[in-house]
Amino acid sequence: MATLVLDNGANTAKIGFSHEAVRVISNCQFRSKTSRLKTFTANQLDEIKDPSGLFYILPFQKGYLVNWDVQRKVWDHLFGKEMFKVDFTDTSILITEPYFNFTSIQESMNEILFEEYQFQSALRTNAGSLSAHHYFHTRPSELCCLLVDSGFSFTHIVPYCRSRKMKEGVRRINVGGKLLTNHLKEIISYRQLHVMDETHVINQVKEDVCYVSQNFCKDMEVAQNKAEENTVMVDYVLPDFSSIKKGFCKPREEMMFTGKYKTGEQILRLVNERFAVPEMLFHPSDIGIQEMGIPEAVVHSIQSLPEEMQPHFYQNIVLTGGNTLFPGYRQRLEAELRSLVPAHLPVSVLQPADPICYSWEGGKLLAHNPDYDEMVVTREDYEEHGHCVCEDKFDL
Amino acid sequence: MVLEKKTSARVEGQRRVLDEATRQRRLTRQLDALEKDNFQDDPLSSLPPPGPTARLPAFSENEEPEKKRRKTRGDHFKQRFRKNFTTLLEEENLSEKPEPNYLSAAAPVSSLPPRHFCCVCGFPSHYTCTTCGGRYCSSKCLCTHRETRCLKWTL
Repeated sequence: MATLVLDNGANTAKIGFSHEAVRVISNCQFRSKTSRLKTFTANQLDEIKDPSGLFYILPFQKGYLVNWDVQRKVWDHLFGKEMFKVDFTDTSILITEPYFNFTSIQESMNEILFEEYQFQSALRTNAGSLSAHHYFHTRPSELCCLLVDSGFSFTHIVPYCRSRKMKEGVRRINVGGKLLTNHLKEIISYRQLHVMDETHVINQVKEDVCYVSQNFCKDMEVAQNKAEENTVMVDYVLPDFSSIKKGFCKPREEMMFTGKYKTGEQILRLVNERFAVPEMLFHPSDIGIQEMGIPEAVVHSIQSLPEEMQPHFYQNIVLTGGNTLFPGYRQRLEAELRSLVPAHLPVSVLQPADPICYSWEGGKLLAHNPDYDEMVVTREDYEEHGHCVCEDKFDL
Repeated sequence: MVLEKKTSARVEGQRRVLDEATRQRRLTRQLDALEKDNFQDDPLSSLPPPGPTARLPAFSENEEPEKKRRKTRGDHFKQRFRKNFTTLLEEENLSEKPEPNYLSAAAPVSSLPPRHFCCVCGFPSHYTCTTCGGRYCSSKCLCTHRETRCLKWTL
């Protein structure tokens, strides 16, 4: 029997059979200005020639699955003949869901997996449990690990002792990639160019130019300098989707510090936005969100756990999720933790090579684990006992 | 410079000052806006709704049962599976459930004092707008702020 591993994120689904490689695909539908009658699903995004003013239809709200119509359309597409050609009569699914998922969402999920799609067996788990499985698999000598999963909707800090999730230590910060993109969009629209409709473009800008500052005050001073001395300033050439397909930064030597460019491309000049936007992960209070930043919440989480475990958690911090890819993120987090944690405790922060697919890879390992068949709920079990058997068996 | 100071002092006397509750409401609304999926309208909704031709029933005998089945299935999903986040959160009734749960997992308020940034240019700010409580860093930014944002989005 084949096993399909699906890390069902709020922005991208990480999907693939356990014997194949992973693919990262948008978990949403789109409408475009140019072909208004058509709705594009998941990777059909690539078919849109002019993705300006792209309209998003997302199945998730605040990180929880609420819009099943959209989710089913996306899954129909992913499982269907255009993509994974899933043979439901001979497939087991390993699927992820958020921490503290709501009971009604879990029941809907069971129903759709077993009754609509008729998978032979299913295992629902948290993405973090898969990441932890991956971590302990590569480092069998470690006892504990602390995951910092910073994704699209929010950031979670989750301690794991062996494969057991320590629920009392879970902390959630309501800052994720979506909020960062929307904030960047807002400040660019206020300061220079109206881009409120251009989520897709501005998300690319964020990924291309934003970074986590190592010394926030110093970078703020540098950003206030004039012209050539302002090493933070970049000019970003926006795509027009005819001659420029993808936006890019002007090389420093081509930058014009005074006057306008004669070439006529649309330019965004980004200065303190570059590091002030990701800074919200570290200081959500900068925009009025009354919550701790990541380093403080990590310490808060670890201090709520048994004292003899605490040194192990500080030594095994693993970063996952898309926000991990901001340059300087790991270094900053390690430096701030170092200054918060007692000096005699070593601190070590690990950033995997691919933080987005780290949990999917963990799911792949789990699917090949001899115990996997013991962990799943089969369709017969479900038809016999209903939701109860899922609730008992899955560690959520 | 002198002129500018004069006008701002005169305007000050007439200015409405927002109370704390209104300022808090404005902040909440700004934060809610950051959760939005889209700011523009759905391109499909700007099209005229499909005319009566699209609604005409199919008269073919064979097609009828299938159409019916699809419709009921859709209805079923609409009723059972279309709830928004707030409804779901209320239904969970978390205040009565044992901790840890969704609500108890939220990171608490930081022990560090909040930093302040100019709402116009984004650099560190030292001054507060007396009307709305927004932050600004220089008289230039204050002018921009008053012209564009200060009382524009009040509730």
